[in-house]
Amino acid sequence: MRFLKIAKDDWTRGVEDLKKSFRVFGPVKEKEAYDFRLLDKGVLPDFSFQNTRLSPKSTVYPQSEILFEYTLDESKADHHVHKVPEKDYSPRVILGIRPCDAKAFELVRLNFDTPEYKDPYWLSAYEATTKVGLACDDPCSTCFCTSAGSGPYDEAGLDVLLADRDDHFLAKVLTEKGEAFVSAAGWNTEAPDAEAGFEKLAAEAEGKVPGGVPTDKLADKETVALHGADFWEDVAFSCINCGTCTYLCPTCWCFDIQDEVKGAEGVRMRNWDSCMFPLFTLHGSGHNPRATKVDRVRQRFMHKLKYFVDRYGRGIQCVGCGRCVSSCPVNIDIRRVARLMNEFEPAPEKCPA
Amino acid sequence: MSDYTQKIRETAKKLLSEGKVDAVIGYREGTLPLMAEPCLVKDPEKVDQLVFNSFCGVNLANYLPKRKDRVAVVAKGCDSRNIALHIVENQVDRERLFVIGAPCTRMVDRRKVAAAVGGREISGVSEQDGKLTVSGPGYEQTVDKKDVLQDNCSICIHRNPVLADEMLGEKLPEQEADRYADVREVEAMSPEERFAHFKDLFSECIRCYACRNACPLCYCPTCFVDESKPQWVGKSIDPTDTMTFHFLRAFHCAGRCTDCGACERACPVGIKVRQLTRKLEKDCLGLFDWEAGMNPDVRPPLDTWRPEDPEEFIK
Amino acid sequence: MGVEPGRLHFSWISSAESTKFVDVATKVIEEVRALGPAGQLAKTKAQVA
Repeated sequence: MRFLKIAKDDWTRGVEDLKKSFRVFGPVKEKEAYDFRLLDKGVLPDFSFQNTRLSPKSTVYPQSEILFEYTLDESKADHHVHKVPEKDYSPRVILGIRPCDAKAFELVRLNFDTPEYKDPYWLSAYEATTKVGLACDDPCSTCFCTSAGSGPYDEAGLDVLLADRDDHFLAKVLTEKGEAFVSAAGWNTEAPDAEAGFEKLAAEAEGKVPGGVPTDKLADKETVALHGADFWEDVAFSCINCGTCTYLCPTCWCFDIQDEVKGAEGVRMRNWDSCMFPLFTLHGSGHNPRATKVDRVRQRFMHKLKYFVDRYGRGIQCVGCGRCVSSCPVNIDIRRVARLMNEFEPAPEKCPA
Repeated sequence: MSDYTQKIRETAKKLLSEGKVDAVIGYREGTLPLMAEPCLVKDPEKVDQLVFNSFCGVNLANYLPKRKDRVAVVAKGCDSRNIALHIVENQVDRERLFVIGAPCTRMVDRRKVAAAVGGREISGVSEQDGKLTVSGPGYEQTVDKKDVLQDNCSICIHRNPVLADEMLGEKLPEQEADRYADVREVEAMSPEERFAHFKDLFSECIRCYACRNACPLCYCPTCFVDESKPQWVGKSIDPTDTMTFHFLRAFHCAGRCTDCGACERACPVGIKVRQLTRKLEKDCLGLFDWEAGMNPDVRPPLDTWRPEDPEEFIK
Repeated sequence: MGVEPGRLHFSWISSAESTKFVDVATKVIEEVRALGPAGQLAKTKAQVA
């Protein structure tokens, strides 16, 4: 780990040099909102954003991805063979990812990189990716990263962390991938005395993040009692079961697999799924264990704030980016629900008469 | 506190404590500035959470179909038209419904407010005399409400409820508006231009279905995009599938859409989906002299036939 | 929505008007053939990642 100073005068040159060896994704403003896009030659990442509208998860995990193609035409030599289409797993960098979103990749990894199974698509893209974080000095009012086990200077999942300092960036190079990144950009001005400054900035930034989303008692709750809590109907009432919260979430990983066939030619693809949708966990028999809106809303919050906590023992499945809070069309607020769940006490059982 | 808020609470309390309804559907204060959350109140002691302000854009008619209980609902002009449609389409039982009519003071588009304050963080907002005072870290700014209205509200010509069991205030004057300026621009395009225009319009769609699910018209037990036997349309973000969803959804709303704006308001990526529904609204007005939901006793033109229906398009 | 003129036809044909049906069907086929295969909203393989 070492510190570098990157003069903004040298930024454009460095970014363009990077593009010679990396596909560079960065935040850009289109119409009214910022999103991560592949940056063409001459296009710089726009760091005037607070956070992007959609999370950068799709840079590694596309919303729709073809897994393989096949033909059922027996006159063709390769009929019934699963052919993986050519994918571009050349080195890519996400330049300017917020620390919360980078941490989210580490949570999603728990699903795609397990001792039993390694998802080749997700892992190939993930391993090709260098994540260069942009520390958050100006959090949104909907942010709660510090309550969700992350923070505005969190290094989890990052290869480099940048802090924006007026005429320069301070860079904390964290990994081998980070070294390759700064070397490709030709940034090599050491800043050995930056460490203390970095810590001070981090502390200042953390102080600005709205807190107060308690999660400390979730692990101790009895799952069945929490599942049966009386507040779910009220929490779910306004929900319209759209996929906004889950599709904008950097940590939601559920997918659905579909075959699309035309004539004898077909592809198998996977698409993001959403626990909000009526098709989610719909069985072939027609039965759905989560048949109603309340079931589905409860599933989302229980997965993020209880099942995940119990299954992995590393906090909640949320990094506090606040996207679901700010974009929910009916103002369902995970911060409020977390509070309800954390404070929940089951009603004492009545004595039998 | 607005007059409406006070009256809604009084009415809700009365209806619940007298047992006239089992629940009241209204809005409660949002957890964010510029937002209000739909809520259901069953306990007369809990009516004080109900509010009414310029951020009550969600169409509460969306929460009525399939309910078995007796409910009261707060309804703006557009909401009441959707209730009228629900009655025509047998989705709600008028006898079990108590409509609390709100002559609408027009709803605010929070994205426009955000743009008006230059994208700065908004931590508080108050409204008075047609002005919004928006505050955030280190600033306070006043914006004219009329400059930050939802697009549909700024061209709304039916703000007064078409049916109500109780009104929250006197009827408000209606405005005249050119409702179809942008639709005419699209109509003037060549077919190729128009196709390119719509392709671009829907290019950012993430298929979250917020537009569909926020819409009171979309109550089908299984939407055509969710059918799997047979599967009519693909589920990926392929542009053809995405456009197919939007076109068919819009056509399904033809002659039924009240332009409540719920779809656009809900869209997390800001797609102007009303361009499609308003073209159909314009055609229904021109061809059948029809505005949706104005009368709970008249069936919409696309599920009736009259000898005088236009048929010039038939050769 | 940008469908080319000539691809969509409507006609009233009574069950007694068999010759009209033949005429209309022939004309529709000719006109649509002349336009060639539809390029818009026609999907052969999903355009996704």
